[in-house]
Amino acid sequence: MAELEAEVLASQDGTAIVAVRGELDIATVDQLAAVVAPLLDTKPARLVFEAEQLHFADSSGIALWVMWAAAVEELQINNPPQLLRRVITTMGLAGKIHLTP
Amino acid sequence: MSSPYVEAARRQGPPESGSSPPPSAGEAGEPDVRASPDGRWLWLPLGTLLAGLLLTALLAFGAAAQYRSNENRLLKLRVRDAGSLLTAAIPDVQSSLASAAELAAATNGNVQRFRAFVMPLVGTGAGHQFVSASLWRLSRAQRGPLTIVGVTPKLAAGSTASAFLTAAARSPGLGVIGLLQRPDPRLGFAFGYAGSSGGFIAYGESALPSNRRSPIQSSSSFAGLNYALYLGSSRRPQELLLSSVSHLPLAGRHAAETVPFGNSALTLVMSPRQPLSGTLAHNLPWIIAIAGVLITLAFAAAAATVTRRRRDAERLAGENRRLYSEQRGIAQTLQHALLPDRLPDIAGVQTSAVYRPGAIEADIGGDWYDVIALEDQRVLVVVGDVCGRGLRAATTMASLRFAIRGYAAQDDPPATILTKLSDLINISEEGQLATVLCALFDVRRHEITVASAGHLPPLLITDGHGEYLHSEVGLPVGVEVGASYATTTVLAPPSATFLAYTDGLVELRDEPIDDGLTRLRDAALASDSDLPDLLHELVDGLRHEPSADDIAILGLRWRN
Repeated sequence: MAELEAEVLASQDGTAIVAVRGELDIATVDQLAAVVAPLLDTKPARLVFEAEQLHFADSSGIALWVMWAAAVEELQINNPPQLLRRVITTMGLAGKIHLTP
Repeated sequence: MSSPYVEAARRQGPPESGSSPPPSAGEAGEPDVRASPDGRWLWLPLGTLLAGLLLTALLAFGAAAQYRSNENRLLKLRVRDAGSLLTAAIPDVQSSLASAAELAAATNGNVQRFRAFVMPLVGTGAGHQFVSASLWRLSRAQRGPLTIVGVTPKLAAGSTASAFLTAAARSPGLGVIGLLQRPDPRLGFAFGYAGSSGGFIAYGESALPSNRRSPIQSSSSFAGLNYALYLGSSRRPQELLLSSVSHLPLAGRHAAETVPFGNSALTLVMSPRQPLSGTLAHNLPWIIAIAGVLITLAFAAAAATVTRRRRDAERLAGENRRLYSEQRGIAQTLQHALLPDRLPDIAGVQTSAVYRPGAIEADIGGDWYDVIALEDQRVLVVVGDVCGRGLRAATTMASLRFAIRGYAAQDDPPATILTKLSDLINISEEGQLATVLCALFDVRRHEITVASAGHLPPLLITDGHGEYLHSEVGLPVGVEVGASYATTTVLAPPSATFLAYTDGLVELRDEPIDDGLTRLRDAALASDSDLPDLLHELVDGLRHEPSADDIAILGLRWRN
């Protein structure tokens, strides 16, 4: 069973940072959505995900990010694993979801 | 679980090799789990009942046996105690008569002295030992006593008296004789010295109650007992001296003790009127039996409840399994309805497709494919994937699929179709996006024009060579209204095979997607099967159980 941990690291000055660990798929998207939804209410300009330990994200997870990308000025994913980076570029979403580095 | 999956394999070619029938709802092959046959559930409560009753019976019988053995032991002790008390009464009588006999011997049968001595002992009141006392000369015993104090002795002069007195004089202790004929039964005692010249015998008689009844005083330590006292060692009714009850012999639990009484003996029989070890000990077997039965019944009832609940739960689980398989059947039927019934016949090419649902089969996936024949031997091939599952994904999929058919009918090129789709769904509103691959085939010119909205690249195989068409990938549909898409056109060699698929075929959690793409290409190159078989081989070979994602794959091959 896939497991996901999501934790708000910071939310100030228009930037919200969320650490995501584990696996993001159809079974766990609601969990991440529940953590991020209150942050979106503060209308941050930047939404940053620390994704170094996110081992997997399927299209439902990607869809979630794309949805949030439309709600903020910039959606950034820090240190995505190669797998995740490849999925996002394969889906032509590199322009929407900012991968750093 | 080797789940029966639905395959919507559509083959181009003779109609009879075409669409497979929709799955029937009940075909799932689930074991038909029903509640166990009526009655089987009774085993546990019945077993509990039997075991409980057996245990109760054992305990109750054990307690009863223990009680009986206790009662017998206590009764024996009491009878022995009472026997000792009786024996202790002898010396008083003996010493009185011994003194009188001695006096008579010393005074050579002085009657006056004898009378004076025994007078205080004789009377009918409670304080007197005898009702009658008399002095006999042993040699003339047959003629009767020398003198009598009190009432006339029942021991009549004669041979009986002589024999008794002689025996008493010879014995070292007291001679005892029962004179028990009604009315006025008595007990006679004699003491004498046979050795002295002439020999005198002191003889006394004690009265017994005429009905021989003498209840034990309630203050006595033997108050709880009935008794019967016999002279001698037998229990013949005519030898009865005293008893506390009129009805003899004593019935029920009883014990007897024979103790020496002068030159005779006394036999004491006793029987308890109430339990000697207490009423609790007496009732304990019953208390155990009743409590045991009640506890057993309670346990059996609890066991019955638990078993019945479990049976109900099993029945419910069976019902749920049936409903689930039914629902899965419905979902599969719906999916089937949303995918093309059969692919169109197109001159010069063969097309085929396979759809396989994911592990959560009751849920509908958002994968789809379509083949649309256009004018001038052109074909539009579409493979798409709406993110997510369920009815919402399926309806979005259906609307996209039919929208594409509409745009294709207007002869829109692939890039335009994708841009128009971008206006149809919006992730900010519906929370959904879709990856779509549109490929337009010009069969005669061997031209393929591809536009991709975030979809995985199609694979083109020709003569042992496989290559992914890495066209410029645009945004998935739903991300941005009016998104623009680039197209790439390639020339397909003769007998080229074009494969488009959804991510379920190549995506694994723990490997980069490029590894999956390599596996797909290698597997496709290794096979020389015809197109429909190739697609099945790929799905079977690349799918990793259990795969949560559904898989759609569509192939197009030029005929030679």
